Amino acid sequence: MTASTIHNRDDLIKYLHRAMVLEHATIPPYLTAYYSIHPTTNSDAAHIIRVVAVEEMLHLTLAANVLNAIGGTPDLSRRGFVPSYPTYLPDGECDFTVDLRPFSPEAVETFCKIERPGKAPRDSSRLVPASDSHRPTPVSSPTDESLRFYSIGEFYAEIIEGLEKVADREPDLFQGDPTRQVGPEYFYSGGGAVIPVTDLDSARQALQFIADQGEGLDAGIYGEDGELAHYYRFRQLQLGHYYQVGDHPDEPSGPPLNISWNDVYQVKVSARLADYPAGSELARAARDFNADYGVFLALLTKAFNGQPSLLQDAIWHMFRLRDGINRLVRNPLPGSDGLHAAPTFEIPTAVGHDPGASRTAGEVAQAVTG
Amino acid sequence: MTAHSFKEFLLLSVDLTAFEETDLLGTGLAHQYLAKVRDACGEGVVTALLGAHRAARADAAGDAESPDRTLLDRALRHRIFSDDRLGPVARNVIKLWYAGMWYGLPPEWTDCYEARTAAETSTVTAASYQEGLLWRAIAANPPGAKAPGYGSWAQPPRIEARYLKEATQ
Repeated sequence: MTASTIHNRDDLIKYLHRAMVLEHATIPPYLTAYYSIHPTTNSDAAHIIRVVAVEEMLHLTLAANVLNAIGGTPDLSRRGFVPSYPTYLPDGECDFTVDLRPFSPEAVETFCKIERPGKAPRDSSRLVPASDSHRPTPVSSPTDESLRFYSIGEFYAEIIEGLEKVADREPDLFQGDPTRQVGPEYFYSGGGAVIPVTDLDSARQALQFIADQGEGLDAGIYGEDGELAHYYRFRQLQLGHYYQVGDHPDEPSGPPLNISWNDVYQVKVSARLADYPAGSELARAARDFNADYGVFLALLTKAFNGQPSLLQDAIWHMFRLRDGINRLVRNPLPGSDGLHAAPTFEIPTAVGHDPGASRTAGEVAQAVTG
Repeated sequence: MTAHSFKEFLLLSVDLTAFEETDLLGTGLAHQYLAKVRDACGEGVVTALLGAHRAARADAAGDAESPDRTLLDRALRHRIFSDDRLGPVARNVIKLWYAGMWYGLPPEWTDCYEARTAAETSTVTAASYQEGLLWRAIAANPPGAKAPGYGSWAQPPRIEARYLKEATQ
């Protein structure tokens, strides 16, 4: 059996930071596909993607709660928190990268891979050696970069086991200030009830919820509460029918989905600021969006560091981000053969962020002021 | 509809609305708006309008890359807004962008230029109300659509600096 990679509180904190990176990293791909859909078309697909994206936001919040519960300090503003797309997203096998794509069969394929159920055949194969040729990814082990997880579900299983082990040894593991917890009074209408974490039971419950909602780990198509797991939500887009209770995973027998792959803004896949004409209005709009997104992540960081009521402000921030994405995707990107612009999620380092991060701010400061 | 006339329509719209091309394309409605003007007034009017705009731009072209704002303002008034045929259409193009509606032109105009379809007031698409530039201009959301999010009303409107009175040209 592969030795556990979690030995103490510091290891857990590293793992939970990585869990937040991982949960967030799924959101830009979902948003890009969602907003590429022409307004008033593809309502089946839009609804499915939207539900999943919102639930990822809940997962991000739950991971922050667990991190806070053990005395960690969530930080969504540090350099590298948002991956550079295309990125390896990790479910151990490294057989695919995640791009920012318009709604398309390729995008849905990727979404299924992100969310696919992956229960290692034996506990001993939960961690597999990472190929040396790949960079560390959010789901490699943060305490031993040479190891990666078989799946996201296995990544959370490792954390849960680690929590149990360390809690046993360190009775004061859950020393975090309970006022830093985000409870249902601050997070609602967002893909399920948020769970404040104050002890091992609630931590286990929060992490198991993330794993179940994503892949239906061990629970089949539907989770315990009868909710369809993300993987199967996306499978419906591939198979063309909704699932009904009792269906075989390969044969959903519900009503057909109405999908029109053409009613989509064909945005450039994983567009970068460098793809925008230098000095153009459009480049400025793309940089403005990235700066807004950076401000938003800084706001979330504050909310997760003792000011949960700030999540109220996060709501209208998100609506502004929506308007920013819509504006970009409707603009043709000059020089890209008719493809459209899309947000690049290259986040400038926040001004006034912690000293550790500002060391690297020089090279991106241009993006804020340019 | 040629790509060229679309590009010219966008340039005209930038000068008429004072919004940037990125904002106009960002509504997702630029093509529909040009088609609407064509349907309402006919190809001849559209061609004349774009031609007059080209001429106004030429009048205002200095040595610099961008036109002289004062000269352009005068040229637009001279060649377009004071023109009996083109003036009402240009004002309607502004309303189209700002309100998402084609406002019917009066009988004096439609009789004179034989474009009766221009007399009918109509929306362009269901999206055009939401995308009206008027909402951007006053930094408000179209009531009943484009929800700005709970609590957003506690924030001051975010009007771009260049549209504020004290903004320098």
